Amino acid sequence: MARFANGKAPFLRISDTKEHSTSTIMRDFMIGLLPVVLFAWYKNGILVFSQGNANFWEMLYPLFFIIIGGLSSVFMEAIFFFYTSEKDSRKPKLIMKKLSTSYGLIPGIILALMLPMYTPIWVLMFGCFVGTIIGKMIFGGFGHNVFNPALLGYAAIKFGLMGVINAAGGYFNASEVLIDAYAGATPLAMLSGNSLLSFDTVVAPYGNLWDFFLGMTPGGLGETSFLIIMISFIWLTARKVIKWITPVIYVGAVFILSWIVGALNGQTEIWFPLYSIFTGGLIFGAVFMATEPVTTPKNPLGKVVFALMLAVLTILFRFVGNLPEGVGTSIIVMNIFAMPIDKYTSIIRSNKWKKPAYLQMAIIFGILIVLGVYAVLKAGNMYSLFIPIFQIGGVF
Amino acid sequence: MIFQKTKGIHIDGRKGISKNLPLQEYFDPEFVYIHLVKPIGPIKSIVEIGEEVKIGQTIALREGFGEMNVHSSISGTVTAIKKVWHASGKMVEALEIKNDFKNTLDDSIKPNKNIASLTREELVNMMKNSGLVGLGGAGFPTYIKYLTKVKIDTVIVNAVECEPYLTCDYSFILSYPEKLLKGLSYMMRAADAQKGVVAFKNYNQKIRKVLEEFLPKYPNIKLFEVKDVYPAGWEKYIIERVTGKTYSRLPSEIGVIENNSTSAIIFSDVVEHNIPLISKPITITGEGIKNPMNFYVPVGTKVSELVEKCGGYIEGLDPKNANYIAGGPMTGRAILIDDLIVSDSLGGVIVKPTIDGNHPECLGCGKCSDVCPVYLTPTEIKKAFENKEIDLLKQLNADKCVQCGLCSYICPSHVEISDSVVRAKDLLRKGGK
Repeated sequence: MARFANGKAPFLRISDTKEHSTSTIMRDFMIGLLPVVLFAWYKNGILVFSQGNANFWEMLYPLFFIIIGGLSSVFMEAIFFFYTSEKDSRKPKLIMKKLSTSYGLIPGIILALMLPMYTPIWVLMFGCFVGTIIGKMIFGGFGHNVFNPALLGYAAIKFGLMGVINAAGGYFNASEVLIDAYAGATPLAMLSGNSLLSFDTVVAPYGNLWDFFLGMTPGGLGETSFLIIMISFIWLTARKVIKWITPVIYVGAVFILSWIVGALNGQTEIWFPLYSIFTGGLIFGAVFMATEPVTTPKNPLGKVVFALMLAVLTILFRFVGNLPEGVGTSIIVMNIFAMPIDKYTSIIRSNKWKKPAYLQMAIIFGILIVLGVYAVLKAGNMYSLFIPIFQIGGVF
Repeated sequence: MIFQKTKGIHIDGRKGISKNLPLQEYFDPEFVYIHLVKPIGPIKSIVEIGEEVKIGQTIALREGFGEMNVHSSISGTVTAIKKVWHASGKMVEALEIKNDFKNTLDDSIKPNKNIASLTREELVNMMKNSGLVGLGGAGFPTYIKYLTKVKIDTVIVNAVECEPYLTCDYSFILSYPEKLLKGLSYMMRAADAQKGVVAFKNYNQKIRKVLEEFLPKYPNIKLFEVKDVYPAGWEKYIIERVTGKTYSRLPSEIGVIENNSTSAIIFSDVVEHNIPLISKPITITGEGIKNPMNFYVPVGTKVSELVEKCGGYIEGLDPKNANYIAGGPMTGRAILIDDLIVSDSLGGVIVKPTIDGNHPECLGCGKCSDVCPVYLTPTEIKKAFENKEIDLLKQLNADKCVQCGLCSYICPSHVEISDSVVRAKDLLRKGGK
């Protein structure tokens, strides 16, 4: 008689095969980032070099910038693991093992891709520090963070150190800075100054919509190209790394809401909603950050609600709040709500939309509808028409 | 998402190991052990130690809800009452019977001459006296399903066998196709049902082939194919596919009874020859077995004898790094000592080396919610269970879990999530204490 090992059912696990483990998911995610990295290098390095506006080393710089972002995140995690582990387990082998299941490279790379090219390296490292150490490790490491680490780092830079970036060259690369027509920092920044919403003021200075689609406009290193990120999106969904639900609903809802906002302002042509989804890093945020599994709802219904709320907030920040980069802010705000959304949509889902969930359903959709209506009316300058009603009702 | 129908996903069946092997009959073990504990109710022995018993003789009675007879599976002498391992992972008492290799039959076993005139009550009574239970793994007494007062119109035989590795039902059907149809037609009479359905997986076209030969004799019986997904063998999944209707607790609500294919085959023997449930098919398989096989053996046979017949474990198998699984790999249980007994609820034994890995934490991919056949959210249930939030567990319907194991199966981070959900379900059953 032999004594066998204990174990828990099921005894078949997809994670026992290499091709389905979390490590493979993360590897596929990195492969999904690759086209974006290459595009960032092409647009800000190779193209500038070929136009004669950069020397050989300056051509390689965008690539270095991204690699430094990734490596400094991993390095900071290693230091964190070193100082938090017991004295006798501070061995390189053990720390390497922890690093291999912490995936620090990814937030660093994503952060670098969001920043403009001439961001000083120390600012990038500061962002990595805020993202990985404050945003992730303090919360308990991979799988426990509330905020998207890369976005938290980005937000810290955005609100604290934007002046440093602007002084160092802002959003333009060496070629773009030579074009006189580029007035605002990014195409969306033009929008907040121009309530007229005409094609000539917001799109024409940067070329045509095709340029927006390809991503040949000023902006963060890798977040400008709709086309390239679509390619990444197709790869990531085909490999089942991310679900299509969030990006498709997010971008789709922004498209529709922008169209309505445009129509209310007398701008019914299709270029406006298209322009709205091609700019501001919307697709980058939708594909790489709104799908980040740890900080977003986990069940399909939760993902739908999450994506709709993101769209409403983005419209609100963009057209009402004078915050042109509404995408990052909306995702960070919604990260806080991911947990309650997950909880209540789970209850709705597992009760098959029957009785016990009416109240939660009403709350979730109530918030969604009120915010959405408010955003659209306000942005469409229709809000003033309704103020008397609110005053009668004593709401405001 | 709104019109929620039960669902499943395709998983690698790994049935090829034992699928095309014939059913090996092995009817002379030296000892058999008849468990004195079954899933429902205690069992009282009615024989003395030293008493001679015959094949099919009633040796114990199950009492209380689900009362029925338990029979000797061989002829010989009762030698002891011993504690043996049960597929539930516990040690239970069992009657040890030593084989005299004479194979004397009990007087009650004789061909039934007036099958055509049997009434519904008589058939249900035969079901009860034969000790027939659901042989798909649950071990629920079959006759209780037939006591329903509701009008039954369809009896479904479940020949799906969706658990990976297991092939005993499949090879049993290929060996006795006509008995399956006969058993089903008797079951239809026992339920007063008009329609009979045999449900099987669409890639098992061999089942269709062997059954079609006899089908013209049974005009009320239809064949039905289900997709190759797990858990397609789950009662509710099959019934929803066959009838297009759903129910909340019991299939009889919509006039359906569902039985395992092996139960149907054995029921045909019960009706025609009065042979009670004394033998059953079992698969011994897995990467750790030298020559996996499908057996047809008396209930109570030692699994170790069957493993020996398979040539033992593969060379170099380290038991410390292998699982010895009672039942299917998705819902079965790890048995620590390889000293298991074939009980009526044991469909197979799988020996399989374990696989180690450096697994990260839950990354929150939500795949467990996607695959759940009853639309639960395992991550939320696990969280509520760890925080002991009973009300939230109730709202999350943790008690609806069917314990299929898919959430752990699909998890890329190897989280023991289905274990947490099952424990949450138990917690709710016990009223949150």
